[in-house]
Amino acid sequence: MKHLPKHLQPRWRYLAVGIEAWPDADFDRGAFQRDLWYAAQNLYGDTGSAEADLTVLAFHFADGDGETIVRAHRGTEDRARAAVAALDRVDGDPVGLRIRGISGTVRACEERYLNGRTGRGEQRDVVFENESRPAVVRDARVDVEGADGFAGATRLDFE
Amino acid sequence: MYEAVHAHPDGRSTASRFARTAERYGYDGVVVRADDADPHYDRLREACAVDVVDAAEIVAPDPQRASGAVGNARTKHTVVIVSGGTNALNRFAVEQARVDVLARPFEGAVAATSADENDNRGDGEVNHVLAKAASENDVRIEVNLGPALRTRGGHRVRHLSKLRQLKRLLDHYDAPYVVSVNPTSHLQLRAPRELAAVGDEIGLGDEWIREGLDEWGRLVAQNRERRSESFIAPGVERGRYEEDD
Repeated sequence: MKHLPKHLQPRWRYLAVGIEAWPDADFDRGAFQRDLWYAAQNLYGDTGSAEADLTVLAFHFADGDGETIVRAHRGTEDRARAAVAALDRVDGDPVGLRIRGISGTVRACEERYLNGRTGRGEQRDVVFENESRPAVVRDARVDVEGADGFAGATRLDFE
Repeated sequence: MYEAVHAHPDGRSTASRFARTAERYGYDGVVVRADDADPHYDRLREACAVDVVDAAEIVAPDPQRASGAVGNARTKHTVVIVSGGTNALNRFAVEQARVDVLARPFEGAVAATSADENDNRGDGEVNHVLAKAASENDVRIEVNLGPALRTRGGHRVRHLSKLRQLKRLLDHYDAPYVVSVNPTSHLQLRAPRELAAVGDEIGLGDEWIREGLDEWGRLVAQNRERRSESFIAPGVERGRYEEDD
């Protein structure tokens, strides 16, 4: 297919999104894309979704820590932001999402807002509520494993 | 801008984790709605770049029991929040000047372990009588954005229409309000800009949402001043004269 003339090509904005989840969360780009579409569709319907046309581009996620780029049409950044905020779980795993910034090109977006460090979790045992429990430690963040799922803490809680 | 959170053991994340996340998201602080939680506030404030406010959230089945708890909490905590959810509790909260915030007037207490918020329904309502009383007693009514972000389908539709109605009432009677997503883990926290975008999308307006997030800050500042030793009555303080220029 022939390229569109430059002035008719769609204008995009690229949203750098930071992803946080519990360490046992496991989903890929496809699942994230699907749930983002559903979130957008549930929030503002088919017409709004088509208008924003949210697409997940670069996707890095491992051990409950990740980042991605979401593409949206220029002028619909705020709608895209709302859809990302309304995405609370991916594949059943609760996620915490935050838009780090918006750029006009993928490259600028990567350079400015993505740090290329995902995962890096370190297994360790910690004492939480007077019990020794396995935990995943990532810089100051500590996710403690319990009987009914994880609990979020920081190093400060163990000093 | 502040966010009011349910910290461990009421929620899944500790107050320090909330504070850390809120700091990255651009909040000025977190209000810890403690029911069972009891973090070391002094240590947290020292270690975190954001403010950590001690608040008590009173979850009671009826006004009689809530009343005693409010009296106890008022002297110990900076902010006193009453969880609504039934018409009797909502009415009780807005008629008590000792109460700062009426939380979740529609849905009542949040369950920390419940993964699904859909099964979490109260039958409370806010009408013009309550909005007027809230305005007179300076009780802030909470606009709970949680279900708007975390539920789907019919539950969300019903909740959104309640929020729209609530906004009309609050605006008409000029009643104070606060906005929160009622996060029980740091994953449920969302940045102020994101909430403003959602507010715009669901018809509440972005400025209106920001105002509600800011209101926590004003509330905290006002209560801290009142609890400080130099405070005697509104406008009357112990201390040095103000300098004349």
